[in-house]
Amino acid sequence: MRILNVVAVLLALSSAFLLYGLNYDTRMIERSLHVREREAERARADIAVLRAERAHLARPERIEPLARRLGLEPLSARHLLPGPGLAAGNITTSSTSVR
Amino acid sequence: MSVAARIAGPDLHETSVAPRSRSRMLALVIALAFAAVGGQLVRLAWQNEDASTIRVSMMSSPANTLARPDIVDRNGRLLATDVQMPSLYADPLLIQDADEAAERLVRLFPQIDVRELRQSLADKSRRFVWVRRGLSPAMAQRVHNLGIPGLLFVDEIRRTYPAGRLGGHILGRVDIDNRGTGGIERYIDEIGASEAAVGARLSARAPVRLSLDLGVMHALDEELAGAMVRYEAAGAAGLVMDVLTGEVVASVSRPGVDPAVYEDALDPSRIDRIAAGTYELGSIMKLVTVAMALEMGRSLDSMVDTAEPLKAGRFTIEDLHPLGRPMSVSEVFIHSSNVGAGQLALSAGAATQKAFLQKLGLWSALKTEVSSGPAPQKPQQIGRIEQITLSFGHGLATTPLQFAAASAALMNGGTRVTPTFMALDGEAPVVRGERVVSARTSALLREVMRRNVTDPAGTGRRADVPGFEVGGKTGTAEMAAKGGYRKKSVLASFIGTFPSSEPRYVTLILLFEPKGQDVTGGEITAGRNAAPTTARIIERIAPLLGVPAKSL
Repeated sequence: MRILNVVAVLLALSSAFLLYGLNYDTRMIERSLHVREREAERARADIAVLRAERAHLARPERIEPLARRLGLEPLSARHLLPGPGLAAGNITTSSTSVR
Repeated sequence: MSVAARIAGPDLHETSVAPRSRSRMLALVIALAFAAVGGQLVRLAWQNEDASTIRVSMMSSPANTLARPDIVDRNGRLLATDVQMPSLYADPLLIQDADEAAERLVRLFPQIDVRELRQSLADKSRRFVWVRRGLSPAMAQRVHNLGIPGLLFVDEIRRTYPAGRLGGHILGRVDIDNRGTGGIERYIDEIGASEAAVGARLSARAPVRLSLDLGVMHALDEELAGAMVRYEAAGAAGLVMDVLTGEVVASVSRPGVDPAVYEDALDPSRIDRIAAGTYELGSIMKLVTVAMALEMGRSLDSMVDTAEPLKAGRFTIEDLHPLGRPMSVSEVFIHSSNVGAGQLALSAGAATQKAFLQKLGLWSALKTEVSSGPAPQKPQQIGRIEQITLSFGHGLATTPLQFAAASAALMNGGTRVTPTFMALDGEAPVVRGERVVSARTSALLREVMRRNVTDPAGTGRRADVPGFEVGGKTGTAEMAAKGGYRKKSVLASFIGTFPSSEPRYVTLILLFEPKGQDVTGGEITAGRNAAPTTARIIERIAPLLGVPAKSL
C-alpha cells in the first residue's frame, strides 16, 4: 500500500514537472510564432508596396515613350501577315527606322 | 468519517475496515487529480489557437477601416491596391513645446494650417491628435528625424492607384477610412467583397477583375488626347465595347480624373462623358431610325421621298446637301439625310418609334456597376416635330454608353446587350440577351454601316482601316445652350464597328466643340474629325484585341 502511495505521489510530481515544461515550451513557441507572424505581415506589406510600384513603373503612359525611343511602334495592319503569306516567303520588312 | 474514526482511537470493530476504505479514498483523490490534470491538458490543446489570436488582436489598436481587394484589368494588370502607410499622430501630453513642434511640422507639410495644429497640440486634455495620414516612408523618416517627443506613427492601410489617371472614372474613389464612395470601389463594398479590418491588415480576398484592358485604354486615351490637340476640341471621350458580352473593354473621358486626387471628382468639367453625361448625339441616331425602318419590312433599296424639305409647324427640316430627288434607305444613311430619316420615322408612327427606342434601352436610365446612370432627357409627348427630330438624334439626350449598348445589339445579330465593367468568365459560353431586332435587320445594318465607309461619297470614308473592315456612322450635333442651339459649337461623334462582316467590337468616339482646321478643310463635321480619329484608334487597338487583319 505504501509503495503504491509513493509511486502515485512520484507520478503526480513528475506529471506536474512535465506539465510545467510543456507550458513553458508552448509559450516559447507562441512567442516565436508571433515574431514569424509579424515578419510575414511585414513581408506582405512590402510585397504590396513593391507590386504597386512595379505596376506604377509599368504603366503604359511611361512605357510607351521608352518603347518609341527604342524604335518600336504600335502594331498595325501592315505588320500583320495572314498565314499563307509566310509560306510564300513574301515577308516585307517594317518601315520602322531607328533614325 | 475516517478522520473522526482516527481521533476516536483504535477500535476493534473498525480497524479491520478503516485501512481499506482509507486507501480507496486516497486512490479516488489521486485519480480525480489525474483526471483534472488530463482535462486541463486537453483544454489547453483545444483552446491554444483561440488564445493566441486573442493576444494578436489585443496588440494592434482597433481601427474602423476596410481592407479592400485589389482591382485588376482583364489581363491581371494592377489598377488599385492597398498598401500600408504610416500615419502621423501626436500625443499632446508628451509634447513639450507646441509652438515649436507645429512650426517644424508645417515646414514639412505646407498644406497643414499652422494655427489649427498649434491649438490642437497645445490642448493637454487630449491624448490623440491626427497630424497627417498616409505618409510615404521617406516622409515618415524625415518626421522621425525632427526628433520631437510626442509624435508617433501608426500603420494604416491606404488605397493606391498605380495606373494613375487611366480608368479613374470607372474605379471611383475611397474616403479616408478606405470606404468606397464612388464607381467600382463603392460597388465592391455593396457586393461585400471588402472586409472590416483591424489595424493595418491587408485583404486576402481574390482580386476584382474588370472588363477593361489597360493597353487598349491607353491607346484610346492617347489618340483622344491627340485628337483634342489636332482639332482644338474642348473635350473628348471614347469607348470600346464587346458586341456579344457587353463588356466595356475601354472607356476614356478627357480630361480625366485621378482617383487619388479628391478634388478631381468634384470638378464638373471632368465628369465621365461616357456614363455620367447625357448628350443629344445627332446623326448617329439614324442607325436606330434605319433599323426601325428595316424592322418594319423596308429594304435598303426602298425609296424615301426626300425631294422637298420637311415642314412641321413653324419648323422646316432641310438637308445640308439636298439631292432634290427621292433617296433609297441606304442613301439616307450614307448621305445622312435628315429629311429621309424624318420621313422614315413619320411612316413608322410615333408609338412604334417610342416603343423601338424603349426596346433598345434609350428611353430609361442605364444601371451599371459604376453608377445607376442619369435618366435620359426626352420629350414629354411625341408629335410630328418630335418624331422628326428624334429620327436624327435631337430632342433625346442619352449617355454615350447607352447608345453604344444599343448599337452593339443592332450589330451582333439583334440580341440585347447589357453593358458591364466586370470581366466575364472567358470559358463560359456567352449568354445572349433577348432579341430586339431580327437577324436580317442586323445583317442589313452591318452592310450599310460598311457601305458608309467604303462609298466614295460616304460620310464615314475617312474611318477606313485596311484589313479591318470598319463600318460606321457619323454624327455632328449642334450642342444645346441657353435659349437654343449653337451653330458653331458641335458634338462630333462616330459610332464604328469592326470587322463589319462579323462584328466583335463597337467603338464610339466623341469630340466636343472641335474647331475647323486646315487638315479638315475648315470643317467641323464628324466625317473630318471623329471618323479619322476612329480609324487611328481601330488601327492601334485591333491587334491588341486579337482581331485578325484580313489580307488586302
